[in-house]
Amino acid sequence: MISSSASPIRRKLMTMLLVTSGVVLVMTCATFVGYELLTYRKAAARQLATLGEIIAAESTGAVAFDNPRDATEILAALKAEHHIVAACLYDKHGNIFTRYPADAPDQLFPPAPQTDGYRFADDRLIGFAPLVQVEGSERLGTLFLMSDMEAMYERLRLYGGIALLVTIGASIVAYLLARAMQRQISHPIFALVETARAVSDRGDYSVRAAKHDEDELGVLTEAFNHMLSQIEEQNAVLEKRVSERTAELESANRELEAFCSSAAHDLRTPLRAITGFADVLLDGRAKIPPADAQRFIRLIRDGSGQMSDLIHALLAFSRLGRQPLAQQTVDLADLCREAYRDLSDDHAGRRVDLTIGPLPKAEGDPALLRLVFMNLLSNALKYSRTRAITVVEIGATHSVSEGATVYFVRDNGVGFDMRDAGKLFGVFQRLHHAHEFEGTGVGLATVRRIIDRHGGRIWAEALPDGGATFYFTLKNANAPTSRVDAVV
Amino acid sequence: MMRSMRHGIQRLRRHGTSLLLMAAALCIQPITATAEERISDAYQIKAVFLFHFAQFVEWPAAAFPSRTTPFVIGILGDDPFHGYIDELVKGEKVGLHGFIVRRCQSVSDTRDCHILFICRSAEEDLASILQQLDRQSTLTVSDAESFSRHGGMVRFATESGKIRLKINVDVARQHGLAISSKILRPATTVTAGKD
Repeated sequence: MISSSASPIRRKLMTMLLVTSGVVLVMTCATFVGYELLTYRKAAARQLATLGEIIAAESTGAVAFDNPRDATEILAALKAEHHIVAACLYDKHGNIFTRYPADAPDQLFPPAPQTDGYRFADDRLIGFAPLVQVEGSERLGTLFLMSDMEAMYERLRLYGGIALLVTIGASIVAYLLARAMQRQISHPIFALVETARAVSDRGDYSVRAAKHDEDELGVLTEAFNHMLSQIEEQNAVLEKRVSERTAELESANRELEAFCSSAAHDLRTPLRAITGFADVLLDGRAKIPPADAQRFIRLIRDGSGQMSDLIHALLAFSRLGRQPLAQQTVDLADLCREAYRDLSDDHAGRRVDLTIGPLPKAEGDPALLRLVFMNLLSNALKYSRTRAITVVEIGATHSVSEGATVYFVRDNGVGFDMRDAGKLFGVFQRLHHAHEFEGTGVGLATVRRIIDRHGGRIWAEALPDGGATFYFTLKNANAPTSRVDAVV
Repeated sequence: MMRSMRHGIQRLRRHGTSLLLMAAALCIQPITATAEERISDAYQIKAVFLFHFAQFVEWPAAAFPSRTTPFVIGILGDDPFHGYIDELVKGEKVGLHGFIVRRCQSVSDTRDCHILFICRSAEEDLASILQQLDRQSTLTVSDAESFSRHGGMVRFATESGKIRLKINVDVARQHGLAISSKILRPATTVTAGKD
């Protein structure tokens, strides 16, 4: 948990708000105090002028009738105005007539009256005012007043104090307001940080940040939550895919193991024959007639030929998985006819009734598809050779449930038990003994692999001694079907 | 416009006064010197005071038929100022009013005097003089010691070398004169029948 008081963003927000309000406050106070001082100087001069006017008017009689004692009394009234440092009256000849305070040193007073008026000089406010009884008649004398600026400093101190108090008070209020208002921004961010931390620390993608407002932070929170949802979904998909792949790999592994053991088994049979006959021939003690020796050697040769066939078939099978598919439109009926021609050794001298139905053209690799028909036709001919008339039918139907064209190859051969149907397409899996029907046991495995690679499915239906039908699906090329019927 | 003009005139006038004083100090020095020789310091001050009364006393409107009617300072009896007071008021003005100094031989000559200085030489006739002036708005001034007692308005009294004013406000008021409180402060107020 982030301690929210120590969080930098909160501190930054607070600092921003406080500095802004502080600067505004200080500028306001400074302007106010500055303005007050300016007006106060003017006001002070005006006040001193008013005071001077009163004193001057009061003292005309005393000066006119030469009564310094009375003039001193009048000036003594200035005691009430303690900012007046000095004051004096000049008679009409410019001599000091009376002074205030009575014991003030001489240097405080200008030796002679100067220009009438009020002005600031040396941190003092001084003024000269004429003593005139009747406007327009003779000037009886001059009043001199000197005021210190203590009143102004006093006021300055007062204003400074007020400004300080206002600043402190306003700062406290600003601090409280800032603390309350910064939450609008910092809290959604804290919520986001908390959520992000939960995700990164615990890998918990199920947490969601609470959305506070419809502002940019709200949008950010929403986008963040949306991202979390997406990650969660993708994780689920990936996990599912991984478990699927694992299952596939496991099954492939099992298949490989089964393949290895049956390949080893199938290779051992001819090898045992080769080794056995070779041992007999090499045994010096046994007298083997030349005709027998000749037969043994032929058996050894047959065995190695068998092994060579097996190895060829295996190599071809493994190549199937590697070589790329050459995709093109293939006329399957033509392929069937070619395959049948190539298998002439299998059906020479037999009575075969072959029907090739209308077959829609398909998309695929012509060489591989030819191999499919070669194997299926070869099987059909092989397992039906015990029949007086071999009947083979090749055709196609459209299956709604498969969503594709289903091709089939049907024979009237020995068939098989449907309980063994699962083993049918495994490598080296054979349902019949080798001495009954020869074969490598790789053919149907090859067919299935080719159909798999074309994205199709293969399956078989049969009855023991009731014939077998092999079905497979291929993608339709949407080409017009060619119908060829051939009876041999 | 009017104010600034008036202000200008006042400044000129004030300026004029000081120029005049300078002139008096430089050029007319022999005349002043001779006047000073003949009169005492006390009478110089008294002359200034007489001149100043024009500013501190208000006369009834009837005393000035026009705005330019001059102040008339009358001197009854043996003139102790000689020419000094004439020099003093020469060219001076209060408002638009100028000054005239008149030597009066008898009370009948004082009819339009605003300020009348009664000399000590006339002290013996004070009672009858003041009685004759009863119907006039004339500020009566004297340095005769019994002046206040006889119902005079302003007496110059000498106290420890200084000249002080003894003013009978009631009498002045009865004659329609208003004396400014500003000279009542430095003065001593007296009532009729006393010093």
